[in-house]
Amino acid sequence: MKRLVLLVLSLLLASQALAASKELYVYNWSEYMPDSVLEDFTKETGIKVVMSTYDSNEALYAKIKMVDAKGYDLVVPSTDFVSRMRKEGLLQPIDKSKLSNFGNLDPKLLNQSFDPENTYSVPYMWGSTVIAINAKDPDAASITSFADLWKPELKGKILLPNDMRGVLGMGLKRLGYSLNESDPAKVGQACELLMPLMASVRVFDSDSPKQALLNNEVMAAVLWNGEAYIASGENADIKFVYPKEGFSLWVDNLCIPKNAANVENAHIFIDYLLRPEVAAFICQEMGYSSPNLAAKETLPEEVRTNALVYPAPEDMARGEFETDLGQAVKAYEECWMKLKTE
Amino acid sequence: MSSDGFFKRAVIIGAVGWMTVFAFVPNILVFLASFGTTSTENFIEPAATLRNYARLMDRTHLDILLGSLRLSGLVTAICLLTAYPFASILARARKPVRNILLLLVVIPFWTNSLVRTYAMTAMLNSSGIVNNVLMSLGLIDAPLAMMYTPGAVVLGLTYTLLPFMILPLYAALERLDRRYLEAARDLGASPWRAFWRVVVPLTMPGIVSGCMLVFLPAIGMFYVSDVLGGAKAMLLGNFIRDQFLTTRDWPLGAAASVTLTALMGLMLLLYWKSAARLGREAS
Repeated sequence: MKRLVLLVLSLLLASQALAASKELYVYNWSEYMPDSVLEDFTKETGIKVVMSTYDSNEALYAKIKMVDAKGYDLVVPSTDFVSRMRKEGLLQPIDKSKLSNFGNLDPKLLNQSFDPENTYSVPYMWGSTVIAINAKDPDAASITSFADLWKPELKGKILLPNDMRGVLGMGLKRLGYSLNESDPAKVGQACELLMPLMASVRVFDSDSPKQALLNNEVMAAVLWNGEAYIASGENADIKFVYPKEGFSLWVDNLCIPKNAANVENAHIFIDYLLRPEVAAFICQEMGYSSPNLAAKETLPEEVRTNALVYPAPEDMARGEFETDLGQAVKAYEECWMKLKTE
Repeated sequence: MSSDGFFKRAVIIGAVGWMTVFAFVPNILVFLASFGTTSTENFIEPAATLRNYARLMDRTHLDILLGSLRLSGLVTAICLLTAYPFASILARARKPVRNILLLLVVIPFWTNSLVRTYAMTAMLNSSGIVNNVLMSLGLIDAPLAMMYTPGAVVLGLTYTLLPFMILPLYAALERLDRRYLEAARDLGASPWRAFWRVVVPLTMPGIVSGCMLVFLPAIGMFYVSDVLGGAKAMLLGNFIRDQFLTTRDWPLGAAASVTLTALMGLMLLLYWKSAARLGREAS
């Protein structure tokens, strides 16, 4: 789908990137950065930003590795992929002396094990998985946990992410296991549990799941908090819950590929994104949580206290970060294939 | 004369060069990759193993293949049944009318097929155009669930691929010599029998190439099933894409791709065989 067009486009763009100087090639998640931010940046600096998008870390990683880490100047992998790409030498160190706004970031999200001292990465946004529900539907309105999705009344009314770990994570959490479970037997158990749920799924979508919710195609959707935030802004009936069993958390990070052509421009853009007013604007538009403390202070009351954007501490306690699975990923892939072909 | 020769040579060298660089070499690479092994360091390690093909032979992968073939077969059948009458009307229409109809067949190609697939969601979804019209006419009380169904996938594929069936059929029907038909009728054949025994065999090359042009792309157009079908069914196209982009098992993806190519080759071979047989019978 979108990926196909983007693949072709980005290959074309990648070949041009080498010649330019007043340009910046950004490879970002889809629906993750407002266009107006790019326009304002170009107006101020004269640097033209060309953005292409992906919808999974795997796609980003495969692409960067394939093009030998050149062609793009800025990418936004999640933590587990930062650590993998860093170890494989696909990233280059970020010069913090060029980032005057680095101090705005929440120290709690810095200097983590996936990238000590943040040598290669600067947090962009963080977020979580939630269940969004359409309160008009009585069967959906009572949902508080992943387990509720198995109710027969919800058959044909459910959206799940088109993402292996997103779906398997639900089964693992229901069984009380970690999202990063490496025991194939336990992954198999989660797989068995998930099998009957597949008949209830109306659609798998990680690109723009809010659409199916807003079009009344589904009454309950497992999606990222930013998607739920935008959907609830457009339709007041759309509510959300942080699943009782636990849920996934992630941090996405700005990184510069090893062989990027416009390294200087990438630093200028990162520093621009770290400005409190810019970070606050992005946070309000996209509905994901900003790691920028100075930005959080400038947010309007209703956004700062919105539990979708900034989960309450008692909800946060149930969140878990996804980490690199290593060889254990085989069991996940086997199960995902089974779920999709039954 | 000499400039004409130069031009001819330039065109031929250009076309052959293009095909070599962008079709032949990539296919050879995929073919070689299908005998390789995966590694965590690189996407692929050179090897000479048939393991990837053996891995393709399990139950799940065969289910994916059969599901894809069934879907493509259905789409091809629907395209053939709707395109054949249309193509015969087209072939018999007066010239100005025919040109307009041909233009209408071609116009959708001016828009990218992915964009047209997204446009179909606006038609089919619960608050979409079709449901709104039907509800305002009072024909239905609640919106029909048309999106994210197998029917929506079949509709989307049929819509996208129909012109590929119409054009070869039109070419075959337009060349059809009407005198054969008259002769058949004069010799006492019913219209149905004349159609079945004269028109269909004579337009067989058009039917076969139309079916090929629909059947094969239908297997690979994974985005239609993703967008309209809700990504519920894993088709061969999705499977190959996932091996390359998500699970990074290039050798397995390459093996699946080579198998698909071999399948297509086999079908072409069957077609040539049957065309040659038809040719012999005719003479």
